[in-house]
Amino acid sequence: MTERVIEATGLIKDHFSNFLRKPSRALHGINFSVDKGEVFGLLGPNGAGKTTTQKLLLGLLRPTEGSVTVLGHPAGHQKTLARIGFLPENPYFYSHLTADEFLDFFGNLFNVPDAALKQRSKQLLELVSLSDSGSKPIRKFSKGMLQRLGIAQALINDPDLIFLDEPNSGLDPVGRRDIRQIIMGLKQQGKTIFLNSHLLADVNELCDRIMILHRGRCVAEGAVKEISSSGNYRDLEQYFMEAVEKAETAYQEGTSTSKLESVTSAKEVT
Amino acid sequence: MSGLRSIYAIAINTFREAVRDKVLYAFILFAIVVTLAGLLLGSLSVSQNVRILEDIGTFTISTIGGVIAIFIGTNLVYKELDKRTIYLIFTKPIFRWQFIVGKFLGLALCILIVTAMMGASLMLVSYLNGERNMVAMVESLGLTYLELLLVIAMATFFSTFSTPLMSVIFTLGLWLCGHLGQSLLALSKMSQDSSVKPLFEAVYYALPDLAKLTQIKFDLMSPLPHFAASSLITITAYVFAYIVLLLSFATFITERREFS
Repeated sequence: MTERVIEATGLIKDHFSNFLRKPSRALHGINFSVDKGEVFGLLGPNGAGKTTTQKLLLGLLRPTEGSVTVLGHPAGHQKTLARIGFLPENPYFYSHLTADEFLDFFGNLFNVPDAALKQRSKQLLELVSLSDSGSKPIRKFSKGMLQRLGIAQALINDPDLIFLDEPNSGLDPVGRRDIRQIIMGLKQQGKTIFLNSHLLADVNELCDRIMILHRGRCVAEGAVKEISSSGNYRDLEQYFMEAVEKAETAYQEGTSTSKLESVTSAKEVT
Repeated sequence: MSGLRSIYAIAINTFREAVRDKVLYAFILFAIVVTLAGLLLGSLSVSQNVRILEDIGTFTISTIGGVIAIFIGTNLVYKELDKRTIYLIFTKPIFRWQFIVGKFLGLALCILIVTAMMGASLMLVSYLNGERNMVAMVESLGLTYLELLLVIAMATFFSTFSTPLMSVIFTLGLWLCGHLGQSLLALSKMSQDSSVKPLFEAVYYALPDLAKLTQIKFDLMSPLPHFAASSLITITAYVFAYIVLLLSFATFITERREFS
């Protein structure tokens, strides 16, 4: 039986800009789950609610309604946080630290024993091709190096579940390929990965299942293999565009959108 | 033990950030210039030159330390929010109070080193000018540092919910008002209006009574034997209680905060 790693039920999130204004609803009761060992892709146009969803899963935000369980505990629980890794989008790291100090800092927050931390930091810097830059100040790092250091940071505690928010953002083709290979390696190790990305080619290559959000609602979800083999779509991009455009048309016309439960029902979207 | 390790990691990171910031060195340079100017002024005085020198030196340490504490302290939490490094911290298994305490201790360590450096220079110059009561000087410097710890706690507290500029204004305001505490108490005693009296008293008890701390510092350095050792313990306990209260409020605000 597959182990459920993430379970979100009836997730609603309202944002309050100030006390007087009416709250704006970022998520309208979404439901989804992620199983152990899966690479799950969260897709959607800007403002769809991807980052809000991810922050709810990480415990940085609290749901207005609904519930989130991550690794068997409520989101943000200390036991959950001890087993997850997170790479935020366009991360800013402590520029006053060197790469070694940076990994030490996060290793200490996870209470990784000193000897193991030293060894782990060395392995991770090798994995992300930064072995020669351990003593270099982070402020001298290029965008690609920062992103790779971010990946190393996200893996310092050998997590079971890894959240990656736009891991290929701003990288050149070589950098993108390297990050893709690292994610593939993690997948082969059986890690569960929650990927938030705009790059559909990467999603197609890496993800087992995807969910598409549009204006805070889930408008499509399905297994990537089924989408590819269904014959209904040229590629993932066409599937994505169709789902989003139909959802937008329905939104503009004020009609309700019916979620695409599977690829075969994709053409029935209104 | 793991909780202590997290606090230690955050404190050391904060300390590193402070000492690697060029602004700190500008402050230290300024402190040295002001201290030297003070020493020169003290040496020009015909009588009581050691006392003047010590007063100017202690005042300089307190002011420069306070300025560093305010300008770095008010950025402590805000900078983490602004640069979004807070997302990386709060997705790790640490409690919010550990983050607040770690930040406070990191800056406290930095200010301790700055105070110790300036204090050691002052003690050396005072000794060369004939001062022999070094224990009183150490105690006085200790109280100066205690006051700076309170300023750091104020700055940390305000930085959890306001911008650095507003935090500077709030912290400076609270610090200065704290020195007026005894005046408020005196006003309350003099007041004929029974409705105003409790108001003055309430404000007095809400504000940190830093005037008392200054008085004890003055008594310590005074040649007159009217200083009671128990008042040193009482004021230390009072300031620490106030620091714990401010850091608890800072934790309370951070725990309720969402990071959108």
